[in-house]
Amino acid sequence: MDAAQLPPVAAAEELAREGEAAKGTPGTTAGIPGRERGERIRTAIAYVVMFSVAALFFIPFLWSVSTSFRTIADTVGGFSLLPKHWTTSGYHEALHTFNFGRFMLNSAIIATAITLSNLFLASLGGYAFARLKFPGREALFLLVLGTLMIPDQLRLVPIYLMLVNWIPGWVGHLGWHGATFVNRNGVILVQLVSAASLFLMRQYFLTIPRDLEEAAKLDAAGYFKTYRKVMLPLAGPALAAVGILTFQGAWNGLFWPAVLLQDSSQYTIPIGLAYFHTAYQTLWPPLMAASVLAILPILVIFIVFQRYFVAGVASSGVKG
Amino acid sequence: MAVAVAKRRQVRGIGHERTREALVGYGFIALPIAFFLLFFIFPVGYAFYISRYDWQIFKGPFVGWGNYRHLWHDTVFWHHAVRNTLVYAVFVVPLQVALGLSLAVVVNQAIRFRTFFRAAFYFPSLAASAAIVSIATYILASDGLFNTVLGQLGYHHNNAWFTQQSTALPAIIGLNAWTTSGTMMLFYLAALQSIPTDVYEAAAIDGAGAWRTFWKVTFPLLKPAHFFVLVVSVIGALQMFDQAFLIGGASGGPNYSTMTVVLYLYNQSIKEISFGYGATVGVVLFAFIFTVTVIQRLLFGKPEVA
Repeated sequence: MDAAQLPPVAAAEELAREGEAAKGTPGTTAGIPGRERGERIRTAIAYVVMFSVAALFFIPFLWSVSTSFRTIADTVGGFSLLPKHWTTSGYHEALHTFNFGRFMLNSAIIATAITLSNLFLASLGGYAFARLKFPGREALFLLVLGTLMIPDQLRLVPIYLMLVNWIPGWVGHLGWHGATFVNRNGVILVQLVSAASLFLMRQYFLTIPRDLEEAAKLDAAGYFKTYRKVMLPLAGPALAAVGILTFQGAWNGLFWPAVLLQDSSQYTIPIGLAYFHTAYQTLWPPLMAASVLAILPILVIFIVFQRYFVAGVASSGVKG
Repeated sequence: MAVAVAKRRQVRGIGHERTREALVGYGFIALPIAFFLLFFIFPVGYAFYISRYDWQIFKGPFVGWGNYRHLWHDTVFWHHAVRNTLVYAVFVVPLQVALGLSLAVVVNQAIRFRTFFRAAFYFPSLAASAAIVSIATYILASDGLFNTVLGQLGYHHNNAWFTQQSTALPAIIGLNAWTTSGTMMLFYLAALQSIPTDVYEAAAIDGAGAWRTFWKVTFPLLKPAHFFVLVVSVIGALQMFDQAFLIGGASGGPNYSTMTVVLYLYNQSIKEISFGYGATVGVVLFAFIFTVTVIQRLLFGKPEVA
């Protein structure tokens, strides 16, 4: 996908500004006599449709939360909306017996490392591509965007072999001896920065007025200082979007962990869920508890930072 | 004379400054570019290289197009992996696009709780696929919520949807249409909001109803968004892995009914440790996705930015 296909950040920011009157909304015909009744009926229908669809979207989640607080006996025979006997034993079992406490920690470590590295490399590179002039800049930026067209699946075998055969030797030369990469290290390494993160940062830096840097230049501040003291503080919304989307993608990620994590002590939550639900199919309360625990951190982040999610996804076509 | 020297100095100063700026620029992009070259660009060529060898755990003899010939006659690949992936794409893409567009049009209305509805419809796209599949397995179990509701409606279905050969793939199609429609909604919403209001005013003055306005005005104006959503949706469908892996495991059970192209690639590379063959599947998939994207672009013309 090239830049031409990506809707501009401006449109996304427009979208992120929630709660404003809808722009370009069909049916704002108030004031034309004879239309108001039809208008009201249509609004009523829209509400009914939306509440029903929203209910359909929520029922699976609510049902899993309800089951996560049940006893095993309570999951078979006879339907009740709420648990008959509320218990947190599902959570207890998931976290301790089935090791999801460990898996959550592993997911948090991997997702945090990938997020921090994306924030640093994408903002540094994005700043250079947006502001600094150097020969070959456009060609190199096209190369970055071009990587969006290379699917993870094509990279699976080559990267796996590189991680086994080459990378340990290379990092050995750098002084890190005996390192292995068919594990958590590899999962982090192959996701250190993404073209989507870099693109999003560059687009945002392009919208920041130049006079602020000119002032820094008069102060004889170096480029790195300008980046750190002037540009980064102004790029808050873009950093938030990159950080949140990267964290969400890494927390939920299944593909690279499925390829590279072989020791169960390093499993992430998605891998833990994958093996749990094939091995203990009908232990529903702990399975639902583990699912709720997998979703909960993302739900909290989503509720707090909703506008950044919307802006980020709409502007770059990122999907975790 | 003095002025000329000063000017030359200034020019040299600017030249020096330019060089410094360029060097700093290269320095700032060095790490990301090295990363993209090593982990994206190089693996494309390396994958092709590997695919030309009989490469199991260790590199074996050069076999030329041998792996490709083998793949051409591989019945599991064609009859199950490719067939399932195409069936999946043919059904899930229209469902995703239609659902995404409908939701976008609905939440674009000037009504209360818009923010809430957008969030509600988008949320399934954000939750971990592993958690969604676990929840779906529970709801679609033989005595699960879904079968119970169907029973109440007089339609008795007593099998778990994901474990039956005939229902596993359709259940995945339904599941993914639901989870990804929120993302498609966001793409369409961005496009809907960029349509100028006066277009609708003109349609209203002409006396066009809501339905007609949608099909005659809104829908054609969304052409760039249709292209974008379609490309994203088709590419995503051809790369389906998570749900198949979570439901059928690496072997795509029951009886290959959830085997997809990417799952087959994973199975051959990681489970069978047949790297040369796995790389071959990867190269063929990449070529196919690339071709489909080019064809879509030709059909829809050069996309304008939404």
